[in-house]
Amino acid sequence: MIENIAAAADNVFELHNLALMILGVTAGLIAGAIPGFTIAMAVVLTLPFTFGMTATQGLSTMIGVLVGGLSGGLMAGMLTGIPGTPSSVATTFDGFPMARKGRPGLALGIGVWSSFFGGITGAVVLVTLAPQLARVGLEFGPWDFFMLVVFALTITSSLSGKALLKGIIAGALGLLVSAIGEDEVNGVARFTFGNDNLRQGFAFLPVLVGLFAFSQLLSDVQDRDKAAKPLMPKGTKAVRVEHRQAIKEVLRRWVIVLRSSMIGVFTGILPGAGSSVSNILAYDQAKKASRNPDEFGTGTPDGIVAPESSNNATEGGALIMMMALGIPGDVVTAVMLGALLIHDVVPSPSFISEEPVLAYSIFIAFFFAHFIMVTMQAACLRVFVLITRIPMYILASVILAYCAIGVFALHNVGFDLWTLFIFGIIGYLMRNLGFPLAPMILGVVLGDIAELNLNRAWSISDNVALFFTRPWSAFFLVLAVFSAVFPWFQRDRGRRRWTLFYLPLFCLVVAFPLIGMGGTVRPVIGTGLLVIGAYLSWRRRTHTPAAGT
Amino acid sequence: MGRLSKDALVAIFLLLFCGVFLTASFHIRETNYASLGAEVWPRIVLTVLTLLSMGYLAQSLRHHGGDDELPPRGALRSWLHRYQNAFWCFFWFGLFLLGLPYLGMLIGGCLFVYATLTSLGRRDWRGHGLHALIAVLSVGGMWALFTYGLNVFLPAGEIFSMNWVPG
Repeated sequence: MIENIAAAADNVFELHNLALMILGVTAGLIAGAIPGFTIAMAVVLTLPFTFGMTATQGLSTMIGVLVGGLSGGLMAGMLTGIPGTPSSVATTFDGFPMARKGRPGLALGIGVWSSFFGGITGAVVLVTLAPQLARVGLEFGPWDFFMLVVFALTITSSLSGKALLKGIIAGALGLLVSAIGEDEVNGVARFTFGNDNLRQGFAFLPVLVGLFAFSQLLSDVQDRDKAAKPLMPKGTKAVRVEHRQAIKEVLRRWVIVLRSSMIGVFTGILPGAGSSVSNILAYDQAKKASRNPDEFGTGTPDGIVAPESSNNATEGGALIMMMALGIPGDVVTAVMLGALLIHDVVPSPSFISEEPVLAYSIFIAFFFAHFIMVTMQAACLRVFVLITRIPMYILASVILAYCAIGVFALHNVGFDLWTLFIFGIIGYLMRNLGFPLAPMILGVVLGDIAELNLNRAWSISDNVALFFTRPWSAFFLVLAVFSAVFPWFQRDRGRRRWTLFYLPLFCLVVAFPLIGMGGTVRPVIGTGLLVIGAYLSWRRRTHTPAAGT
Repeated sequence: MGRLSKDALVAIFLLLFCGVFLTASFHIRETNYASLGAEVWPRIVLTVLTLLSMGYLAQSLRHHGGDDELPPRGALRSWLHRYQNAFWCFFWFGLFLLGLPYLGMLIGGCLFVYATLTSLGRRDWRGHGLHALIAVLSVGGMWALFTYGLNVFLPAGEIFSMNWVPG
């Protein structure tokens, strides 16, 4: 293990790689700071640059962009009140008021250092948990992997917006897109409609860039007047970050940092729930736990520490899922998975044991990128202020051309550009019709994994019941069903009586597969959940006055 | 019969789409060497998608008359005006793709960026000059980076075919 870590450190700390990481973090910081540019888009646009790099260099650069993007969002939020990315929405609640009170340097400092400590906590959990989870993943059979994909798609759909049905339709469309072209097992062409270009199916990158980046850019310039104006109001100024005072403030709130980081990590592990969810969850928890909840929203440091710690830690959690099980947790890790596939590395439970140097390189790069982020933040503030003077339509037009060049560079195939165009139209239409794009992107990525495992399962046994009776399959199925019901639970919570039994029922049902897994720990957890579920059911039956039905 | 909502139309489109693909799934070549044929997985997905689309249609018909009802016919102009930026982008990108084999990535890309900038932004003389400059610098820079930095052969184009191949 030590040799692997040493070899990985050698790769990451190589001068060329460090330069790429610095470039990546800088690009991420700037992209994250621009309202309308999401972190996922920044990572998607970085992908074409990584073709000519080694796997370590490519992933280090992308991790740099990711970490930079997560921390860049706070700059715009604090200086202008407009969050740069959805993952820094909650930071604005207290960051902007603090900046308005005349402490923008302290607000930025607290944000930057909370991001740093949150990210480091996420990295530590990543290093500790990913190999353990990968070991668990080795127990999975094809039935279990298939159900894991079903769960990933269901939870992504249920968390990506109000319209669950549209989310699941988007996920199914993604699966269908991945089914176009020759199938991996039989080599038979499907849905080509006589077009030879479709025999190989749609390449992942053009689909991703089209669905996500192309449609996002078009949405950004949809408002003609807004697109022609500079991104930020005139008068936005760079400020000096008060590092020393900020570190003191953050360390004084180490409990919030730790709690919010854990919320971030575990939100990241859940497929579909990214930093846009975790920052609000962490803010909410910090407010509930605070002795002075009324101070939230007025510029209290607690309100900055919580969301910023959690959003950086979230990606640690998402990386755990990708590296341990080969299942991307969100769009960003889906792109990373794509990057690994480009370099002929297939993430799976055996990834860490088969590619230890690359796996540890990812760990180290994620860890070290946070140090670069702190160093580069002050410098990027000035660049950010300069970029915000450019109107959106100029950025969008130039990036569209870049998308075309980047996509063509992947395979040097003209058809990829048409794929980009077609999926750009589809993505734009879906956005405007209220369909979430994240489930579709995950569907495209996970389609092959689902089909391959279905095939493997069928070749072992034609017993369909195995998909429901094997402990891990049943476990993921229960999670999938309960995550599908979750939007209704959220809607009716406190108003309908059935919502009182959602949690107890979940504990009771999920306990059975855990008990069936064998060993010692999981049956004990399962029995504990059974007891908790029974107790909660009894308590809610006897102590709750009848509400609506 | 009342007018259909936007959601209902999308659901009907999805059902038609599923119909076309389900029909096409019966043209997938069957093999006898695999335990699961190549057509099985797409049919599972299509069945799920069809059921979901039917649910979506039922849902949209139940909530008929909501905010998503289609605008009256006279509103077509304002609808076009609302989405004109997106239409311009699609139009120029489509044209760029059609012209790519003839103009190549460098010239085609510059023209695309210039045309898009001019369609979306200011159209005075200063704007034209600025847009031309941005187009040449941005696309030229990216072209040079990919061609020389990353050794990617971008299409040269038939009309302006350049014989000086990099590397």
